[in-house]
Amino acid sequence: MTRKYELVYVVSPEATEEQVTDLHTQVEAIVQRIGGQIEKTENWGRRRLAYEIGRHKEGTYVLEVINGGGELMKEIERRLKVSDLVIRYLVVRVDEDQAIMERSREARTATARRRRTARGLPPDRQPGEGQRNDADDDRDDRFDMGGMDRMDRMDRMDRDR
Amino acid sequence: MPPKRSFGGKKTRAGAAGAAGKDGQRRPMFRRRKVCKFCSDKIDDINYKDTKLLMPFVPERAKILPRRISGTCALHQRKLRTALMRARQLALIPYTTE
Repeated sequence: MTRKYELVYVVSPEATEEQVTDLHTQVEAIVQRIGGQIEKTENWGRRRLAYEIGRHKEGTYVLEVINGGGELMKEIERRLKVSDLVIRYLVVRVDEDQAIMERSREARTATARRRRTARGLPPDRQPGEGQRNDADDDRDDRFDMGGMDRMDRMDRMDRDR
Repeated sequence: MPPKRSFGGKKTRAGAAGAAGKDGQRRPMFRRRKVCKFCSDKIDDINYKDTKLLMPFVPERAKILPRRISGTCALHQRKLRTALMRARQLALIPYTTE
């Protein structure tokens, strides 16, 4: 049973580049040993942490997408927990969510196409078709805070008169 | 009297109560109907790595913006919450400020 996992780990800012790549090869070795594969590796580089983690204010983020079983991830987690250089890590299983996403997207395009053909249009959107972008986009007032906003509008209405 | 709050995220088009003004006159309150950002933009994947997407839902005090204010639908608010909590764990987003 192979599953897809995303692993993100934060390496201490004191670690050298070599140590970071070393950590990656260690993970790779475990993956190879237990029988899985690394689908993707991404190094996000050094980033500011949103909060301090044990005196550290920065960290190097590395993302690995791994295909494998639960046992494999257990082993990787154990190793990361032991390592002093890794200050934080997160393992998330993603295959199920991705499958759901795929399905909903397909369903959506299918209904869109069906509706379009019912209206006698070509199934796919033609370039230059559709609503023009409104200059007065109301995106920013999606988060209007109830009270403040109400006061503000009342003011405006008073002025208008 | 404050206008009745609707907790459904669907904002009343004309706030039914209509706050009484200074002169005691009742006037209709116009509130734009709030819509779920993720539904309207057709974002399926609320990803914890995408801080740019998540940040508007984290107000100053770093709490999670309630859907009463943001208008996010129940399904997407749930997904948003897990994404935010994962991002917090990785220190991409703060738990609190100060």
